[in-house]
Amino acid sequence: MAAATVRKAVTSFTDVVFPGSSNYHGLNTPQLSRSGNEYVSNLPLQMALYFNAFYFPFWLVTAIIMLAAKYHALSNVYQIICISILIVMTLIEAIRLYVGFLGNLKEQVPELAGFWMLTVLLQAPLILFLLFNEATVILPLERAVHGIQTAFVLFEVFSGYFAIRHMVNYQVTKFHLKQFQQLEPLYGQDDLQFYPVSPSPEPHLKRI
Amino acid sequence: MGVNGLVPARFLTLVSHLIITIVIFMNLDENVTACLPLDHTSADYDFNTNLLMVGLILTLVFLGIEFVCFLSGISMFMPIQCLISTFAHAGASIALSYFIVDVWKCYNYYYVFAICSAFPVFTELVVVVGAMVFRV
Repeated sequence: MAAATVRKAVTSFTDVVFPGSSNYHGLNTPQLSRSGNEYVSNLPLQMALYFNAFYFPFWLVTAIIMLAAKYHALSNVYQIICISILIVMTLIEAIRLYVGFLGNLKEQVPELAGFWMLTVLLQAPLILFLLFNEATVILPLERAVHGIQTAFVLFEVFSGYFAIRHMVNYQVTKFHLKQFQQLEPLYGQDDLQFYPVSPSPEPHLKRI
Repeated sequence: MGVNGLVPARFLTLVSHLIITIVIFMNLDENVTACLPLDHTSADYDFNTNLLMVGLILTLVFLGIEFVCFLSGISMFMPIQCLISTFAHAGASIALSYFIVDVWKCYNYYYVFAICSAFPVFTELVVVVGAMVFRV
């Protein structure tokens, strides 16, 4: 039940960020030729996710050791903030990478959109906070490791956007092609013209 | 090639070498001060600073070249280049950690640079030229 609600929320978010994914576009020729791909997984995004998954444990261990080293030099507020940020980032990163792998490799838009939302709304602000907020006594080693993690997150934001857009366009085109394939055996193909009037699943037919 | 664990190993050692180089670069003056005797002259200090800075910038440039060649896929799936790169950069990470902690002299940086930065980039360029010229 909760999974269905989450899926619905993610799908409506996808429609807001990538408008037109639930509209009828017409059979544009460029989209037709692009839909001849055998796959729509995005390679740069997959590479970024793969290397990020390997880099994450080292980032985590380094961040924890650096926090232990500088803990006594932080103010009370920032001690609590740094600990909670590390815990939250660990949990979110694990979920985010798993969902990103799933969405990109199995070509499922809701998972990929969930991954993109987690990256843009949660990981990006948190890692930028860790990298740029001087009140957390940033050590040089921390600058280096957080800088690399920031590069990963920003690259995933940009390539994730294009991955989702491509995947959504591909699935829209495939859906509309499938509609016409379903109707062919019923009506034959000789003197018939299809006039799709509304974006409903059953286009109205007119015999000439 | 079976399960290719060389690719993430190469990536991680490249990243660790990059991180250590950035760490040395950010504390340049402290490192130079640490490796000079207490009664050093200002000319000594400037000379050693320039020495170390040139070495570090060259290392960063060579690391950039290797990252580009690796991530673009030219040498990502060549086992020999991956092995050379992994061993060289792992050795560099360990040697540069000793450089910081044991306070080596600044000219010793160039030994590390020659074996662990210049050599993999040289083999990388050989690979790239081979891929472009002999297979295009």
